[in-house]
Amino acid sequence: MFEGPVQRLIDELARLPGVGRKTAQRLAFHLLTVEEADARRLSVAIADMREQVGQCRRCFNVAAGEECAICRDVKRDADVVCVVERPQDIVVVERTQEFRGLYHVLGGSLSPINGVGPDQLRMAELKNRVEGESIQELIVATNPTVEGDATAMYIAREFKPLGVRVSRLASGLPVGGDLDYADEITLGRALAGRMEL
Amino acid sequence: MRVDWLVLGDFRSYHSLDWKPEPGVNILVGPNGAGKTNLLEAVSYLATLRSFRRAPDEALIADDTDAAIIRAGISSDDRERLIEIEIPVKGARRTQVDKQRLRRTSDLLGVLRVVAFLPEDLDLIKRGPAYRRDLLDEIAIQLWPAAYVDQAEFDRALRQRNAFLKSGHRDGTTLDVWDARVAQAGGKVALRRARVVEGMEPLLGDAYREISSSDATTGISYQSSWPSERFVGGSAAEFTDGMLSALRETRGTDYERRVTTTGPQRDEPVLELDGHDARVHGSQGEQRTMALAIKLAAHRLIAEATDSPPVLLLDDVFSELDPKRSSALAGALPGDTQTLVTSARPDEVPVVGVVWSVDGGLLRE
Ligand SMILES: Nc1ncnc2c1ncn2[C@@H]1O[C@H](COP(=O)(O)OP(=O)(O)OP(=O)(O)O)[C@@H](O)[C@H]1O
Ligand SMILES: [Mg+2]
Ligand SMILES: [Zn+2]
Repeated sequence: MFEGPVQRLIDELARLPGVGRKTAQRLAFHLLTVEEADARRLSVAIADMREQVGQCRRCFNVAAGEECAICRDVKRDADVVCVVERPQDIVVVERTQEFRGLYHVLGGSLSPINGVGPDQLRMAELKNRVEGESIQELIVATNPTVEGDATAMYIAREFKPLGVRVSRLASGLPVGGDLDYADEITLGRALAGRMEL
Repeated sequence: MRVDWLVLGDFRSYHSLDWKPEPGVNILVGPNGAGKTNLLEAVSYLATLRSFRRAPDEALIADDTDAAIIRAGISSDDRERLIEIEIPVKGARRTQVDKQRLRRTSDLLGVLRVVAFLPEDLDLIKRGPAYRRDLLDEIAIQLWPAAYVDQAEFDRALRQRNAFLKSGHRDGTTLDVWDARVAQAGGKVALRRARVVEGMEPLLGDAYREISSSDATTGISYQSSWPSERFVGGSAAEFTDGMLSALRETRGTDYERRVTTTGPQRDEPVLELDGHDARVHGSQGEQRTMALAIKLAAHRLIAEATDSPPVLLLDDVFSELDPKRSSALAGALPGDTQTLVTSARPDEVPVVGVVWSVDGGLLRE
């Protein structure tokens, strides 16, 4: 429809989540009219992020080095680990400022419909951490969905026999939603009132 | 409880409609295809958030438009509320009550309650057990809106358990987890169905006798693929525990058949007429009378429990009945209830009410 390179950018932008055709067009033409250096900064930022950021080898959060900033922070309490589905969920829990422990990113939740069993999640990695680190308690902060609950229950079954406490965020979170959806106060309260599984 | 006004935008055959129904009986008359059922469907959607014809949401959006809008003013117990629903072609449905975005769509349930009777409901007794299960679940939602969440969770957990069984993996811990999740939601679903059946029992007999002008006796009971009758009168926890042990017992069979062979998804309400199973014993006319009686009993049950009679929707029902039953049904209709009746043949509607002629738009006669 538009000149080749313009159309290519529009197509790429439109593939991003939450960006429709119209928005993609607006963004592309915006980038065409701003200073060339401004537009280039965006492309460099994307390239740098992909080059420099990988996964934390300990908790699987995003990390600019081998370990993420949270794992490197010696002031954090390494006895408590909050287990989440995705790296974005860490940001949500951090915003509450109620949690001073470390994290573990599972990479999803149990869902046989989508072919996801324990082997497709980072359960073995979590087991290695429980056996090799000083972890006393796992706080499972999977989404309040059927799958998130099942995952929490699975973790309780697998890890309690290893001598760690396993708890789940207290209810009060909207059922069926994402962690994202809960405001900081609700989530903070849920953290404080967690229930042992 | 009643609909004070209804505004539709690009909903099915209505591009723009502004209607103020009467508090009592409204009779919607018009030729086939005029849009009578569409109007009832919109009212029912406000109460249940889905089409009573089981049509997908996309089908509700007028052809070649971007979004359907349903807005309505609802009053009950001197309280007035505004419901607004937008169903876009792309993206998620938006629902608001009194201009507040709802956190969960299920929060809308209970703002408006309806009992709908469609022509195909006359075959309720003959149809598969899924229709009768759904009937109990729908009544449960009107009585206890939280039932909606439990039903959705049960369906989801069961699909997950079945997907796991289908995969052929054998892993006790994973199956334990799905058992627990299925039983937790399934126990609540079964408990509520049992309570609905219990509440319906006496009302059903009265309604049946009124419509049939007979002294027949009726019965309704909950037939379960697992021994749930042991828990009737018990708590949700007892139902859940019972279901969990049933799942444990059938685990071997389930692994073999790769599907969940026990639970509420296999249960059904059994209806009796003079001591016989109405499904196999009743005549066509008796079965249809039973179907009408069930809907009337549901209306009475919800009216009693919530202190406010639900809006009654009767789509094309009278033309399907013989004159005797038709006038008996008219006599058995609840008073004090906003009722919307449709018909292509007004002479066949034996009730008194405000007549509206429907043909693309809506005009008071
Ligand atoms: N998404 C849609 N967009 C536009 N028109 C639609 C849409 N869905 C259905 N219609 C039209 O609505 C009409 C059917 O309306 P409805 O089912 O309410 O008729 P009715 O008055 O109940 O008729 P009957 O007496 O036959 O039951 C049909 O003509 C159909 O083409
Ligand atoms: Mg119709
Ligand atoms: Zn880390």
